[in-house]
Amino acid sequence: MPVTEADGRFHHIAILPGEVGRYVLLPGDPGRVEKIASRFLEPRFVASHREYVTWTGTLDGVSVSCTSTGIGCPSTAIAVEELVGAGADTFIRVGTSGAMQPDIRTGDVGVITGAIRDEGTSRHYLPIEYPAVADIDVTAALRDGARDAGIPFHLGVAQSKDSFYGQHEPERMPIAAELGRRWDAWMAGGAICSEMEAATLYIVASVLRVRAGGVMLIFQNLDHTPPTEEDLRNGDVERVIDVAIAGLRRLIAADRAAGRPLEPGVPA
Amino acid sequence: MTAAPVESPRPDVEPQHHLALRHGDVGRYVLLPGDPGRCERIASRFDDARMVAKNREYETWTGTLDGAKVSVTSTGIGCPSATIAVEELVKLGADTFIRVGTSGGMQPGMRTGELAIVSAAIRDEGTSRHYLPIEFPAVADLDVVLALREAARRTGALARVGISQSKDSFYAELEPDRMPTAPELHEQWQAYIAGGAISSEMEASAIFIVAAIHRVRAGGLMVCFGSPDMTEEEAEATRADFSLDPLIDTAVEGLRVLIERDAGG
Repeated sequence: MPVTEADGRFHHIAILPGEVGRYVLLPGDPGRVEKIASRFLEPRFVASHREYVTWTGTLDGVSVSCTSTGIGCPSTAIAVEELVGAGADTFIRVGTSGAMQPDIRTGDVGVITGAIRDEGTSRHYLPIEYPAVADIDVTAALRDGARDAGIPFHLGVAQSKDSFYGQHEPERMPIAAELGRRWDAWMAGGAICSEMEAATLYIVASVLRVRAGGVMLIFQNLDHTPPTEEDLRNGDVERVIDVAIAGLRRLIAADRAAGRPLEPGVPA
Repeated sequence: MTAAPVESPRPDVEPQHHLALRHGDVGRYVLLPGDPGRCERIASRFDDARMVAKNREYETWTGTLDGAKVSVTSTGIGCPSATIAVEELVKLGADTFIRVGTSGGMQPGMRTGELAIVSAAIRDEGTSRHYLPIEFPAVADLDVVLALREAARRTGALARVGISQSKDSFYAELEPDRMPTAPELHEQWQAYIAGGAISSEMEASAIFIVAAIHRVRAGGLMVCFGSPDMTEEEAEATRADFSLDPLIDTAVEGLRVLIERDAGG
């Protein structure tokens, strides 16, 4: 069980057990939590501490929450550990990413089936040969959600990296050559987008036996040309929120149909 | 993925070096057992099955299923020979692979005879590192996984979806204590179980990685023997349940689901 303070709140995310639903959307940016929660019915602010902001509401009659992870896998692992302690067991990462295939257009979304463990945090959990893979039901629901929302999507693997500037300005890093070779290998393997949290989310979810998936808004910047007006319109983060909410609705419906519990149990 | 039939980019190619197959010998859908001795038995579920080639550990039979051309090719044991099989099959136009085989159950409470639908694999082998850095996940195709799960519902087989360990050494798993690296082997094994891995076999991860490189679809279906909470004697006592029939029934049904969905059904 994760660390709690004297008042019973979890050490980093500052929520009490029971203050979140079993379904939690996970953006990186705390500034996006309220925007996402505005899609819930009766959203209410729960807590804000460090980079972790949490809101809870309902969707189709079921408690759902949104908690920011901050940037990177170290803070993401903490958020997931403490949210599971609070009763959550189904996570959807919602964020932005850079395209890794030339046929992807700005504003398309990526439904993330697995993640490249190009980061340090998940190695504290499982050996590096272990795959960071999304839950099959969450992924299928997100794909259906993208179809429902009518937004072009790509199904595939994301690169989860630790260094934002190592990707965007590799030439100024002392290990530039290696960064370039690895990037080319990820593309050859079919990776669709580059982001910073999915691999650890998936590995921690495997270890804790909870479900996780991810959906990313993709920006096409492989050719380094300035964005067009259409790109700027399509780059609206509302598009990926549309898909995440539609996917979450699909998942809630599937869980309901399968007779799975829709609200968190009382934490031990 | 569209339902368009796949033609070989090189109809004039010589017989493939290891598989001894020619253009037109295989369908786009291929089942991949390890054991060449199992190909005929699996192919007996196809219509009009015939053996099309046999060389080294590679035996191939082709027939039809619901009117679609389907094949079965043995990979031999291990990722080195399995990747050769997939590479040569892709050259001949195959684009959908289901590994079919036997494995050890890795989660407490699993029963001998239970099927593992492999969603991803632990790259505990050397071959796939020649393709992609180790951080890249060996993931099965979502539609193949969903088709196998639907197939298990139809056949009524006990099945679960999860991660498989793909290892290079059979005896290091079976008799770790006699290996010089025993402590490491034990520690890894326990970590994989803690991660939730459900089955231990020897080919899935490299098949998934090679499939990713070629942009083709792959999945896996394993029948499991034993579980970590059974003693060797207890596991042996369940050997009669270690039947290949539900495995083959479900794999063939999985192909039918894919064929139906690819046709727009």
